[in-house]
Amino acid sequence: MANHSQLTLQDAASPIMEELVQFHDHAMMVALAICSLVLYLLTLVLSEKLSSSTVDAQAIELVWTILPAAVLIALALPSLRILYLMDEVNEPDLTLKAIGHQWYWSYEYTDFKDLTFDSYMTPTTDLPLGHFRLLEVDHRVIVPTESTVRVIVTADDVLHSWAVPSLGVKTDAIPGRLNQTSFLANRVGVFYGQCSEICGANHSFMPIVVESVPLANFESWSSLTSS
Amino acid sequence: MRGLLAKRMKFHLLGAFLVSTGAAAIFKFAVAEPRKRAYAEYYKHYDPMKDFKAMKAAGVFESAPPK
Repeated sequence: MANHSQLTLQDAASPIMEELVQFHDHAMMVALAICSLVLYLLTLVLSEKLSSSTVDAQAIELVWTILPAAVLIALALPSLRILYLMDEVNEPDLTLKAIGHQWYWSYEYTDFKDLTFDSYMTPTTDLPLGHFRLLEVDHRVIVPTESTVRVIVTADDVLHSWAVPSLGVKTDAIPGRLNQTSFLANRVGVFYGQCSEICGANHSFMPIVVESVPLANFESWSSLTSS
Repeated sequence: MRGLLAKRMKFHLLGAFLVSTGAAAIFKFAVAEPRKRAYAEYYKHYDPMKDFKAMKAAGVFESAPPK
């Protein structure tokens, strides 16, 4: 989860999110280079080191057309690479349906018999010590580590969005439509997210918690819960 | 003053290029590369069972309570 002073992305828990973190660093480098260039030139102009009544300068016009085009290509290529990586067809080990309601999520593990549950936010008054305010839920989404999980996201009433930043997932939940996404949790742990599409009074109070555990533990949890 | 703008422009354009690539290089070697190394180091000797046992003992998991 994010801490109170977090400015950067959360630590990645999936390979796609690691790629996105690296791309963000790449884009940040480009942005920093451009901003420092502009700041330097601005300082020169303001301190009257550079001024001109030139009306025609072909060479510099060429430079400041070609250079930005090159910068855009340098940004577009890794971006498209990740976009296609995200769209890769992979055989999922598990399929999970996430349905948005006002104001909770419900989950269906249709690979198993009778494994469905609702996931409501834990109210602050009922929060155990050490737990995270407005982020904890009564029933978490349990997934096995190192397994491709396909999530089919939809909604029952209004628009919602199922998002877990550390897994690099954000998918809109649209009534009457099934949207598909997938992720692979690289490591064990608990990953938090929040509804990401305005859906009414309690939009901020319907969080998502994904718990990644080893396969054996996932299997014992699923057999215990579905029975 | 003859040719002053051209001289200054040449000097400062080089300066601007150095400043912007310098800023990008500092970010790359102070932030981006250490981050890549940190991820690589973390996963080089990553033991999911050891991590799981420690988190389970700390009571982090709903599906695997400590006892």
